[in-house]
Amino acid sequence: MSKSTVDVPQRGGFSFDLCRRNEMLEGKGLKPQIYRKTGTTIVGLVFQDGIILGADTRATEGPIVADKNCEKIHYMAPNIYCCGAGTAADTEAVTDMVSSQLLLHRYATGRESRVGTALTLLKTHLFGYQGHVSAALVLGGVDITGPHLYTIYPHGSTDRLAFATMGSGSLAAMAMFETKYKEGLTRDEGINLVCEAVCSGIFNDLGSGSNVDVCVITKGHKEYLRNYQLPNPRTYVSSKGYSFAKGQTEVLSTKITPLKNNLVVVAEGEAMEE
Amino acid sequence: MSFNPYDNNGGTCVAIAGSDYCVVAADTRMSTGYSILTRDYSKICKLADTAILASSGFQADVKALQKVLSARHLTYQHQHNKQMSCPAMAQLLSNTLYYKRFFPYYAFNVLGGLDSEGKGCVFTYDAVGSYERVGYSSQGSGSTLIIPVLDNQLKSPSPLLLPAKDAVTPLLEAEAVDLVKDVFASAAERDIYTGDRVEIVIVNKSGIRREYVELRKD
Amino acid sequence: MDLNLNMNMNAPHSMGTTIIGVTYCDGVILGADSRTSTGMYVANRASDKITQLTDNIYLCRSGSAADSQAVSDYARLSLELHEIQQGRPATVKAASNIVRNLSYNNKNRLQTGMIVGGWDKYEGGKIYAVPLGGTIIEQPFAIGGSGSSYLYGFFDQAWKENMTKEEAEINSEGATKNFYPGDTLPLWHEELESHNSLLEIISSVSPVPMST
Repeated sequence: MSKSTVDVPQRGGFSFDLCRRNEMLEGKGLKPQIYRKTGTTIVGLVFQDGIILGADTRATEGPIVADKNCEKIHYMAPNIYCCGAGTAADTEAVTDMVSSQLLLHRYATGRESRVGTALTLLKTHLFGYQGHVSAALVLGGVDITGPHLYTIYPHGSTDRLAFATMGSGSLAAMAMFETKYKEGLTRDEGINLVCEAVCSGIFNDLGSGSNVDVCVITKGHKEYLRNYQLPNPRTYVSSKGYSFAKGQTEVLSTKITPLKNNLVVVAEGEAMEE
Repeated sequence: MSFNPYDNNGGTCVAIAGSDYCVVAADTRMSTGYSILTRDYSKICKLADTAILASSGFQADVKALQKVLSARHLTYQHQHNKQMSCPAMAQLLSNTLYYKRFFPYYAFNVLGGLDSEGKGCVFTYDAVGSYERVGYSSQGSGSTLIIPVLDNQLKSPSPLLLPAKDAVTPLLEAEAVDLVKDVFASAAERDIYTGDRVEIVIVNKSGIRREYVELRKD
Repeated sequence: MDLNLNMNMNAPHSMGTTIIGVTYCDGVILGADSRTSTGMYVANRASDKITQLTDNIYLCRSGSAADSQAVSDYARLSLELHEIQQGRPATVKAASNIVRNLSYNNKNRLQTGMIVGGWDKYEGGKIYAVPLGGTIIEQPFAIGGSGSSYLYGFFDQAWKENMTKEEAEINSEGATKNFYPGDTLPLWHEELESHNSLLEIISSVSPVPMST
């Protein structure tokens, strides 16, 4: 009909153009696309001065480790960070989106972001997509009203907690928290407990692995401790190196086509007048 | 949800045949889904003095298969007053697997040992008994990561070439064992079902030797 | 073999819940358990299912956690606007009608049953049940959630009109004598005497008349 409807550029949000096609193809037996899921252990707790977040660094695609040292603690605001589990693309996109909204909100108000604001933005987005945006988050930060820690599920439900775990290693990590957490932990005690919980996930859950990232947020200060622990170094290195002999791939034929001089530069045009 | 009689317990097996030895190796992790059932489970079974079986897949089926093979080997010893050779065991394993063609053992096997001439031999299988004598092989969850490395390092002549060439690898025993340790350490880096420890069994004319090397535990 | 039959961690959060709302002589009392679960895993053992809507009105939530939180968030927003426009506290009837409208208009998308309870100066303490389809029922007491099926008999027997706070509240007297901590819960068969035959039981015990 009118051509203008086609030409209107997208104004934001997702494109659902190919959903009907994919549905048809899946009906005919096409296997749906597998996304990179971060089989994950992410944790967070409240200690005497603020919040400590922790995460492992393994990203998997099915049984294969896609990234041995990825970052799962995302920046939201200078005083707020967020651990993400679920589909890597979703956690990345949703935290980036909300962090930019928070930045604009800070420009508009001239005030420090609040954890509750981030929480509401995240949960309304996730609830709107009815669980199709599979991001499971542990949100933590310290604002004017004090330290806050929340978990957010892909369907948009939220819980306010003193200690929280998420991802495929959440049960292993929660076991550590349930036995050892107490109120008023010191900074060092808190970091140690977070590391223990993440390590519990790393060693007992196959979806989690590699290193431990930690983020400590206190009033007016934060510390992002990337690769705070490295509990999984390579176990064996061959005594001799390997040589990869040339010619392993057999060359069947060779044809050399020289490039033609297609471009002819001609000096033309009138001389510039003074 | 209907009942599913199979599970996959993961794990990787490798075998390399040399001129006068054979190396058979498997990791010792047994898992299901995202959980580890045990970090210390041997996937390697000595069926005869010169026939070593390494199997990944569904370990309940593997146990049942090993039991059948052991029983058949016992009757063989009573009837023939000798141990089965590795190629004989290879044929028996194929028959045992194909016997259950329509309700297969969910087991991916590599059989290694010495043949009647004392030369290293490796047999590789699918779940329903198709098998082949090769110079080296890998089966299980990490096999896709290991096979290309072995292809590169131990490139064996095509079985279609005439006259037929020996499939055994040119490496020395110590070099082969070193390569096995390295490929398992590498597979454990990228395959979540491979890890904890690798058990290496070396068969040569002086007998059987075992080695263990620690792998990643995450 | 999927041994984790009920351990589906991707299942939406839902609250296998027991929620209660009771009117008594001076107002209402709301009650709820504190468990939120995904499949068989307890995701939160200290959750707050009694949400504040206004100063004088609260909401008990059951069913999908995401849905009930969204409904209560929208209801709180509407009520805040309503109170500003009216310049006086919202009535329980108004609040529960907002909840009902949200529930009814989105009935195909929501899996949540709620109980609205509160006090206002016009009608006093009121309890409104807003169950799954989005209907609204004013009741002297209401129970909801998956645990409520165990309570119907008890409530039919124990509820009285114009109870005092002590009677209506769960404490060591009255209704509470049937509530026990989990570790000291008596087993029903321990209270029974042994009998030789079924006939003996039927012939010896005269039926106890049902009390009102």
